[in-house]
Amino acid sequence: MSQHARLLLLAMVCGGVVAAQAPLRAHHSFAAEFDSTKVVTLNGVVTKVEWTNPHTYFYVDVTDDQGKVANWAVEGGAPNALYRAGWKPTSLKAGDRVTIVGSRAKDGSNLANATSFTLADGRCLFAGSSGPNGEATSNCRQGGR
Amino acid sequence: MIPHVRSGTCVGVLTLLALSTTAIAQWQGYPTPGIPRRSDGSFDASAPAPRAANGTPDLSGIWMAPRIRVDLAQGMKKGETVPFTAEGKRVFDERRATNSKDDPGARCLPTGIPVRATLQTPLKIIQTPGVTAILYESRTQFRQILTDGRPLPKEIDWPAWQGFSVGHWEGDTFVVETVGFNGKVWLDQVGTPASDALKLTERFHRRDYGHMDVEMVIDDRKMYTRPWSTFAELLFQPDTELLEYICEENERDSARMVGK
Repeated sequence: MSQHARLLLLAMVCGGVVAAQAPLRAHHSFAAEFDSTKVVTLNGVVTKVEWTNPHTYFYVDVTDDQGKVANWAVEGGAPNALYRAGWKPTSLKAGDRVTIVGSRAKDGSNLANATSFTLADGRCLFAGSSGPNGEATSNCRQGGR
Repeated sequence: MIPHVRSGTCVGVLTLLALSTTAIAQWQGYPTPGIPRRSDGSFDASAPAPRAANGTPDLSGIWMAPRIRVDLAQGMKKGETVPFTAEGKRVFDERRATNSKDDPGARCLPTGIPVRATLQTPLKIIQTPGVTAILYESRTQFRQILTDGRPLPKEIDWPAWQGFSVGHWEGDTFVVETVGFNGKVWLDQVGTPASDALKLTERFHRRDYGHMDVEMVIDDRKMYTRPWSTFAELLFQPDTELLEYICEENERDSARMVGK
């Protein structure tokens, strides 16, 4: 691994720590769409990534105890916010195993607003999304492993 | 397991990353030329504000709020409250009751000018003789503040989301007056309303190289009983550039915003 790659990796770990200073994009009212009291933990495999404004989307196949697979859509922060926090469009890609902690959508669909992403190797990535009061959600330590 | 990392270490890592040549992508981390720096190369935010050729302060540069605020009332002086008229209160309460689900900004339409100073998204001021432009990264919005001496338009036959802005200097303060709003824009994300009667006055004061104080006076007698002020601070952003933000590319939230 190159020195730069190592630094980038460490920077991502740091993302959760320094996220309070990271810019984000409060594109919409959080409470109109998501319920911060309904926390969901999704452990699965990424099927698709949309590196797009106003929000990134990460689609994840989650297998339940009965072996049934459901595809969840997870809304992340704007790519601009994630990029400045150290992400690249390829930081999380199809096939990656991930644990996502987030808030469920109020419409009851398989949709959540990400609080943190934890990769298979334990790295926790800043979600870059907006919380209920528009603040950066960055609780990698409380939400991740 | 995540390695235990102290934030001090992180700052070091991020700095190293910023200085690593291969990390400079899309000009994030590329050193902004011509700005005051300390002997260690770091940006000296407390250096004096630069001056334009005509002697006024030069506000040019990339700026951003130090923290996010989606409610203009939070920027009012202590003890003050928004002086709603009955109509203003009715509109505001309705928007609060539905958690701002009808915010035009959520549908990628323009955001209110005042909240753009507090959303913690970068904006770039380009000050030239005759016009000062503000480029807002979020939603790729821009404004022109005409400083060629023309007055505000007397009649508005085509009201606009951002109105029509002229600017002048009062000492070291750049005063921007805007009229001609269309009555559709929300001043902030919680739904602080504005009608077509809105006159917005912004007062920009660059205290030093790295800090700018902004006062925004909202005068809209349909929504408020008297003019009221909300304040914001902008911090100069060195070694970065605006990024593309095409809001319409993947806007899916508005259809799913149930409100309650």
